[in-house]
Amino acid sequence: MQNGRLRSALARGRWVLVALVALTVVEYAVALVMKSGNLPWMIIMNLVDAVLILYYFMHIAQLWRKEE
Amino acid sequence: MAVQPEALARHRLSRMALNRMGLWLFLLSETFFFAALISSRYYLQGLARPETLNQALGLGITMVLLLSSLSAYRAETCIAHGDRKGFQQNLLATIALGLLFVVGVAMEWREAFVHFPPNTGFGSIFFTMTGIHAFHVLSGLLVLTLVYMLGRRGHFSAGSSWGVEGAVKYWHFVDVAWVFIYPTLYLVT
Repeated sequence: MQNGRLRSALARGRWVLVALVALTVVEYAVALVMKSGNLPWMIIMNLVDAVLILYYFMHIAQLWRKEE
Repeated sequence: MAVQPEALARHRLSRMALNRMGLWLFLLSETFFFAALISSRYYLQGLARPETLNQALGLGITMVLLLSSLSAYRAETCIAHGDRKGFQQNLLATIALGLLFVVGVAMEWREAFVHFPPNTGFGSIFFTMTGIHAFHVLSGLLVLTLVYMLGRRGHFSAGSSWGVEGAVKYWHFVDVAWVFIYPTLYLVT
């Protein structure tokens, strides 16, 4: 049971990393393609990056979730 | 007078909640600091950036830092589940990746001194932002190394890992800050 939970948590971390890397590659591609006016797209993608890290890696929900 | 186990558990939980709140407030104050730095780039330079920026290096060190966030997460998750070996291995990987990031920044600086030195408009912003961020990375590495050494001596367990959690949260924050600094310096036009 304990090992199953650990494996599941580690797999979740891998998926989050895949999403972060994909977003970073998209950011890079957008910067290559859009020679001007890419700021709004960058902000949106950065915010998604930040939310993923805050929620899955930093467990921000612990702040308002009741611990048992 | 015997202390009830339930009361002890409640005390421990409330202390943990206070620790977390304190750390988050500290991170919030750091967020304002980095937000001011990032806004200064747009205020002073607009959207202009030099063509001589090493884009491959910028992307490379960003990937390294993202990868280090995964290993830090894995270290925290492993110790929370009692896997001491996994905790130590992943923490060591995080430290190695952090050092690699610092080496990347040093390489970046060597090139930047040639193409846009600190006495130029973009150079002053570039060196300030990457320098302050690198200082945060170095302080994070120091804390992670301390946690690693304590872990090797048998500190931390599934029920008692606040030291690991705090250090790893700080490391993730350093990653979040870079997630915004990287496009601000390299990609935005």
